[in-house]
Amino acid sequence: MEKLLEVDDISLQFGGVKALDSVSYHIEKGEIFSLIGPNGAGKTSMLNCISGLYRPSSGSIRFKGKDILNMKPYNRTSLGIARAFQNIALFAEMSVLDNLKLGRHTLMKSGPFSGGFYFGKAAKEEIEHREEIEKVIAFMDLQDIRHTPVGTLPYGLQKRVEVGRALALGPELILLDEPMAGMNNLEKEMMARIILDMHEIQDITVVLIEHDLGVVMNLSDHIAVLDFGKQIGFGTPEEIQRNPEVIKAYIGEEELS
Amino acid sequence: MKRLRNPFVAESGTYKTSYRKDMKLFRTKSQTIRMAILIVLVLLLPMFTSSYVVGLLTLCAIASIGAIGLNILTGFTGQISIGVGAFLGVGGYTAAIVTTTVGLNFWIALPLAGVMTAIIGGLFGVPSLRLKGLYLAIATLAAQVVILFVITRWTSLTNGTAGMTLKRPTIGEFAFTSNTSYYYLTVVILLLTTLYATNLIRTRTGRAFLAVRDRDVAAQIMGINLFNYKVMAFAISSFFVGISGALLAHYTMIVSPEFYSVSVSIEYLAMILVGGLGSVFGSILGALFITLLPVGLDMLISFLSGYFPNLHQMLSSFKELVFGLVIILFLIFEPGGLAQIWLNVKSYFRLWPFSH
Repeated sequence: MEKLLEVDDISLQFGGVKALDSVSYHIEKGEIFSLIGPNGAGKTSMLNCISGLYRPSSGSIRFKGKDILNMKPYNRTSLGIARAFQNIALFAEMSVLDNLKLGRHTLMKSGPFSGGFYFGKAAKEEIEHREEIEKVIAFMDLQDIRHTPVGTLPYGLQKRVEVGRALALGPELILLDEPMAGMNNLEKEMMARIILDMHEIQDITVVLIEHDLGVVMNLSDHIAVLDFGKQIGFGTPEEIQRNPEVIKAYIGEEELS
Repeated sequence: MKRLRNPFVAESGTYKTSYRKDMKLFRTKSQTIRMAILIVLVLLLPMFTSSYVVGLLTLCAIASIGAIGLNILTGFTGQISIGVGAFLGVGGYTAAIVTTTVGLNFWIALPLAGVMTAIIGGLFGVPSLRLKGLYLAIATLAAQVVILFVITRWTSLTNGTAGMTLKRPTIGEFAFTSNTSYYYLTVVILLLTTLYATNLIRTRTGRAFLAVRDRDVAAQIMGINLFNYKVMAFAISSFFVGISGALLAHYTMIVSPEFYSVSVSIEYLAMILVGGLGSVFGSILGALFITLLPVGLDMLISFLSGYFPNLHQMLSSFKELVFGLVIILFLIFEPGGLAQIWLNVKSYFRLWPFSH
């Protein structure tokens, strides 16, 4: 299998705190990869390093063999790396449609001149991309709320719009930070279905952070486990389930009598 | 059978069959008609009113252009600026220098004033990458002070505190000397500005502006270069402020540093606050309101002083008081401004006479 993303010896420090301590793993093209670990393990920090919001103090991150560590976050988007945030980061006053259009920002071209006069190219572009976005709307089942301001939607729907916005980019790699947090079982099932579909139908590589271990074990091809910034496990779900370090971190050590 | 229709629910029952139709500026026929009627009314207005009123409306139109400019920056992109007064000055002085010292005509000076202000505005927008909120406000206040200082001291170019005089623009033989002709000039430019701003915010650049305002971290992940877009917002905003300044200069036919003080900046901020942050239509309403408020108060005072002869002295500072009071009341009771009030009225009548 081709390696899509290689994370090599990444360390991240905030003052005296080591948020990540020489973490290394790789993600293969077309797989579902999960990052798990207790709260505060550094999972979101890891995603922030991949999308460029944090700058690791050492190590390297390669996307399709190319080192992206020196790229600005907004340039990484055009490589095809999309992200859905954990604590919904939608643009609350804008409609679902406009939020999704923002997801395609890097794919569009019109500037302040052509956009401001809205004829010819800019109008054509808006319409072409609207067609692509309608596909995402259909995929995410958001048809009836496309004109609704995102801020007025209930939490579960907002989560879906958040994932939809990442999907609108037509990404190669999608980073999903707890897409099922705070959802009931029905909504979780729907989100799991969406993740499987984007993986199987659209051939998108998925990086998933999730606390529901049942979902993670079911969906993932590979898993990396973080604990206090250290990587304590990396492998297939079966390997992770047998890994004594992981069991220790999640369940605690057996007391010796 | 022709159905009776509530004009406030014109959208109901019209279905779109293509995205092009769905994304039109005026989505229904009646919207188009209403807008056409409004524009015709605005154009016919000088026939029914006195030259004084036309002059006032010209000032309103000029202020509207500046307010739309400021709203692009503060309302849509979320970058506060207290430097509008000085940027108006840059526009006015550029027009004055280009038309009198250099000797080019108004039609070249006007866009040049916009471009010059855009460049200087963009330059003072550079700190916005690092500074937010109050800190940025202070940085733009510095722009205000620096620009006015340069205007006052660079006497060889600007004639210092004495100011400069300008002429009304001409086309061939025709000169825009009457209030009515200048009114038409400004209204046409206001219409173009409104159209531009409305289209801007519903396309890629405008969406990016809103994204920068609402969540800059998420905006970066969408692929938006914060620095570029913030500077762009400063430049586009300043362009319109510059145009507004040049129009004002050619209207009053004089530029002088005292016209461009901090209080003018505050007045423009008041316009977009009262009108509605992040609303093009609101900018125009706010500009009308703030420009006409002192006139209305004057009329009120002179009316009342017929009954209370000493009132005029007592209420000499009345205007400032009411001005401040209006802003505070808007901030407390309708932060969405006049634009929001208009929307509320519309949605009330949509269901009228039922409340749900």
